[in-house]
Amino acid sequence: MSITLRLVLITASVLACLLVLKRIRKSGLQIDDALFWIVFSFVLIILSIFPNIIYKLADMLKAQSPANLLYLIIIGILIFKVFLMSLHISSLEAKIKVLAQETALQKESHEGEN
Amino acid sequence: MKILLVIPAYNEEQNIERVVDNLISHYGKLDYIIINDGSSDKTAQICKERHYKIINLPVNLGLAGAFQTGMKYAYRHNYDAVVQFDGDGQHRAEYVYDMAREMEKGYDIVILSRYKEKKQGLSLKYLGSHMISLAIFLTTGQKIKDPTSGMRMYNRTMVEEFASNLNFPPEPDTISYLIKQGKKVVEVQGEMDERTGGVSYLTPINICKYMLRMLVSILFIQNFRKKV
Repeated sequence: MSITLRLVLITASVLACLLVLKRIRKSGLQIDDALFWIVFSFVLIILSIFPNIIYKLADMLKAQSPANLLYLIIIGILIFKVFLMSLHISSLEAKIKVLAQETALQKESHEGEN
Repeated sequence: MKILLVIPAYNEEQNIERVVDNLISHYGKLDYIIINDGSSDKTAQICKERHYKIINLPVNLGLAGAFQTGMKYAYRHNYDAVVQFDGDGQHRAEYVYDMAREMEKGYDIVILSRYKEKKQGLSLKYLGSHMISLAIFLTTGQKIKDPTSGMRMYNRTMVEEFASNLNFPPEPDTISYLIKQGKKVVEVQGEMDERTGGVSYLTPINICKYMLRMLVSILFIQNFRKKV
């Protein structure tokens, strides 16, 4: 890996980490949701400082090139995260529905009393 | 001191009756409120039949959201202190008075500690607790011997914070953060009972998740949070 690419990677992963921390600081992000991004950007930082890890892994798995393996791993993680988020959104939508129905029904029953 | 026991309950039909009946018959002077966190079992029905004081959440919010509901209630009804009290019968109300006495010395949070004076074993069961203790010690310089104890008392200032802020789950990482902000936290020695009915959340996977969350949060995230 070239020095420039490594520098770009390091900067990008540090920036990602800082962004997450800033959102937490402003109370815009719950810690549970931030955890994934912090761990993820940590892994990126480590991989960009020690690219040998990827080279060794690529060698072991006989991947065409280390970059391919890196893409594969990151895409794999992101697809999994998207799936988890999809599950999360589904459950949020279900909860919103229940809440809206609950308030509407309560309002109706109050108006019925008056 | 006006004290409120906040009892978050999620599917506690097997325990809630025993816990609350015990409270009413032996500790009638203590106020309590059950927060039913969208239980799918008969928790709400049992509470209604027995005329317990209860707030029913229409959806499941998780412990943090349920407990915050209790904090909001306490804040609106001008309570001086809130005790976080389990609905599964692990906690003993007799210690509330000890905790209140300690709080009157000027503490913000009083934790009921199983290991303040008694020594904790070194088995795998306690490994997690030791790790969290160490993490808190490293970030704050204060030793909390029983950080995972779920029985804690919060004073009026803390009630206000918990009621109005995001990222204030009633967990060890919040305690660590508050100590770092200069809040005074102390432990009081006491016992707890084993839970008797219902299912525990403590599967190995959940324990690992919990540990990861706590350690990253205490050692890393909390250092970047704004002051309250």
